[in-house]
Amino acid sequence: MTETAITKPNPETERQPASTEITKQAWPIRFLWKLADSRELTLVILIALLVVVMTVVYPNNFPTRYNFSAVMLNAAQNSILVAGMMLLMIGGTFDLSIGSALALSGVVAGVVVAWWGLPAEAGLLAGIAAGAFCGLINGVIVTRININALIATLATMAIFRGATQLVSGTGVTPIGDGFKAYGQASFLGMQSPFWFALFVVAAGWWLVARTRYFRQFYFIGGNAHAAQLSGIRVARITLTGFIIMGALAGLAGVLGSARLNSAVVSAGIGVELSVITAAVLGGASLRGGEGSVLGGVLGVLLIALVQNALIINGVGVYWQNIIVGLVLLFAVSLDRFKQTHRS
Amino acid sequence: MTKATTTRLKVSGCSKGFPGVQALTEVSLTVGAGEIHALLGENGAGKSTLGKIIAGVYHWDAGAIEFDGIALDRLDETSAGALGIGIVHQEGSLVGQLSIAENIFAGRQPIGRFNVVDRREMVRRTRELLNQLGVSLDPWTPVRALSTAQAQIVEIAKALSRDLKLLILDEPTSALTLTETARLFDLVRGLKASGVSIIYVSHRLSEIFELCDRVTVLKDGQVTGRRLLAETNQDELIRLMVGRDVHFARESNLAPGELVLEVNSVAAAPFVRNASFSVRRGEIVCLAGLVGSGRSEVCETIFGTRRHERGEIRLHGTRMRFEGPWDAMAAGVGMVPEDRKTAGLFLAKSLAENITIAVLSKVSPGGVISDRAIASYADRYVKELNIATPDILQLVGNLSGGNQQKVLLAKWLAPEPDLLIVDEPTRGVDVGARAEIYRLLRALRAKGFALLVVSSDLTEVLTLADRIVVMADGRTVGELPGDVADEESVLRLATQHTSIQSAGAA
Repeated sequence: MTETAITKPNPETERQPASTEITKQAWPIRFLWKLADSRELTLVILIALLVVVMTVVYPNNFPTRYNFSAVMLNAAQNSILVAGMMLLMIGGTFDLSIGSALALSGVVAGVVVAWWGLPAEAGLLAGIAAGAFCGLINGVIVTRININALIATLATMAIFRGATQLVSGTGVTPIGDGFKAYGQASFLGMQSPFWFALFVVAAGWWLVARTRYFRQFYFIGGNAHAAQLSGIRVARITLTGFIIMGALAGLAGVLGSARLNSAVVSAGIGVELSVITAAVLGGASLRGGEGSVLGGVLGVLLIALVQNALIINGVGVYWQNIIVGLVLLFAVSLDRFKQTHRS
Repeated sequence: MTKATTTRLKVSGCSKGFPGVQALTEVSLTVGAGEIHALLGENGAGKSTLGKIIAGVYHWDAGAIEFDGIALDRLDETSAGALGIGIVHQEGSLVGQLSIAENIFAGRQPIGRFNVVDRREMVRRTRELLNQLGVSLDPWTPVRALSTAQAQIVEIAKALSRDLKLLILDEPTSALTLTETARLFDLVRGLKASGVSIIYVSHRLSEIFELCDRVTVLKDGQVTGRRLLAETNQDELIRLMVGRDVHFARESNLAPGELVLEVNSVAAAPFVRNASFSVRRGEIVCLAGLVGSGRSEVCETIFGTRRHERGEIRLHGTRMRFEGPWDAMAAGVGMVPEDRKTAGLFLAKSLAENITIAVLSKVSPGGVISDRAIASYADRYVKELNIATPDILQLVGNLSGGNQQKVLLAKWLAPEPDLLIVDEPTRGVDVGARAEIYRLLRALRAKGFALLVVSSDLTEVLTLADRIVVMADGRTVGELPGDVADEESVLRLATQHTSIQSAGAA
């Protein structure tokens, strides 16, 4: 992008929409343009393609109710997490400590229910509160002490993991039947984490896309200084974003421990990177200001489906990582394509 | 007036296109040795592009360039540097984390014994260069700690550090104070006397008349005229630039209304020491003074981005203390910041979103964003401010400088503040847009807005202001009625560094 190219005041050139350029181009380019313009569309097409191919090739293994339910159960945790991560990334920041916060929340819930003998609901709430508290700590460090989010949450990732071990030693097993129901109960053939995830995703999608409060994250991520000078309380809102992320990590942790009826201290290791991968796949940028919760969830689903397809194919687990990496590179290359062909 | 004896640079029939825009069409330019040649034109006329082609930043599509009689078929930044062509860019090319000395000698540090960078020599030469420019800065200061004006001076020092034959200055004074500008001019004249040719890119006419020998005027990428400056006048050049006559006449206001803002003995360390002034309804008050005199900082204090430890700020008679811009906005204050790209606008967001950001609560009844409300606000201001854009969903980054400035003003008109602070209303804006912005500010005054304008452009201050408050060294040192003030009286106040309140000060 050059100064001259963008500031040319000639009204004739300025009044022409940028897209008139592309109508002259061949259809593969136009198709790529459409894809590049909407990450959600790209992902829906990729997911649909994958589903169709798998259904044709493996009619007995892939399109079954059991397989669908299994894929969704696996995707539930990351779908909940990606809603929060997307919010943070739209606001130009991120949280690496979510895996540790998730483990701590699960353990807190386990301790409250199994050791203290309180009802399952108390455990559920205590777990989510523990997650939110982790988020609060992250938010305070990042927005009030002004430490870079990478360093701050790298540090708290270690701290929360250590706290998890401190609280419970090796974990809490079993937690209890009442508690277990929150992770294992099933409705319409789908297990409860799926329904929790569906609720979080639908609410998050609408809230982030449509409400004034969450719209502010887009401005903060777009230009934090200008946002501050536009009357947006940048620090306070970013802090809220971290608390929401933490609470969602707490929910995911509680659901995970309920599903296993066991709170393990090693839960959620490495989950932060797979969630950030899904968010970037879903249209988030590390610079901030763009993305949508829907995109992030589609990113999670695509990764889950690719992994499922590879398992059904009998492809080794090492290949899964390679292919997820390639899909990510492909999606991000589309952005580069968009940037170099616009203007 | 120098007669150019030898031709240093000859550009003939040069064209350059960018995707979607033809930036230059068959432009020819001849610069003699020891000549100061002005390139004049509105923003986007192609003058910066031409400068960058000559400096080897861009390659030309068609045409020929000769330097000292040798035809060049390719030119990149390194070979241009080797030929003795230096450029001072409009927007910085410095690395913020590195020191002044390291920036000036980037890639060509003096080498001492053992092939190690001779830091002492580097610092010595940096100091020498800075002294030539009349500034005393520590060569080890990181560039990011410098003000815009200081960074600009370092850019100039960087260009001067080479063996120069041709220096291209691209809007070098846009961030400089009058004193700094005068110093720069002395320096440029010195270079000229030693035989260096200078291409001076600007849209400030008064500077061009003061400094340059000849001028080439560009409009929409084409040369519309070549003149000897001794044989032309401002009106003719403006006509060549914009294709019509533009006049900036003073317009006195009707009687101003009641007091809106009172600033009494405000101090906010370290930039504001003692500021006192007031702004009334239907009045434009300009804060004048040198860069670093604390003008912008006073505005930031009023807007709540800076705390004051002494004095009081009253709005409509009520004493205020703002925690942040949100409080100031709730109290009816708006501020158009100086730097529209980093502090004012969201370049990657649409025009509609930019215009409505300060009124998010008004476009989201019940907390839910209404696209229709956003569009109606945006449509209204696009029409009212005559913003040239294909549609309201256009990204602001794709608009021209003048239109960006109008979007920024629209953003602050939308909340309908009682007091609007405008920091440098026309920086980097072409003559046409400047006239529109002046008209707009006067229309706001007529509507009863209280306007506080900061400007480094003295002509602008004298054109706009009903009252001029002069600041020096963090203090308000005097106040002049706009209709009797002239450059001399403002400058006399601005350059006196003792804080004597003049008789007219509030």
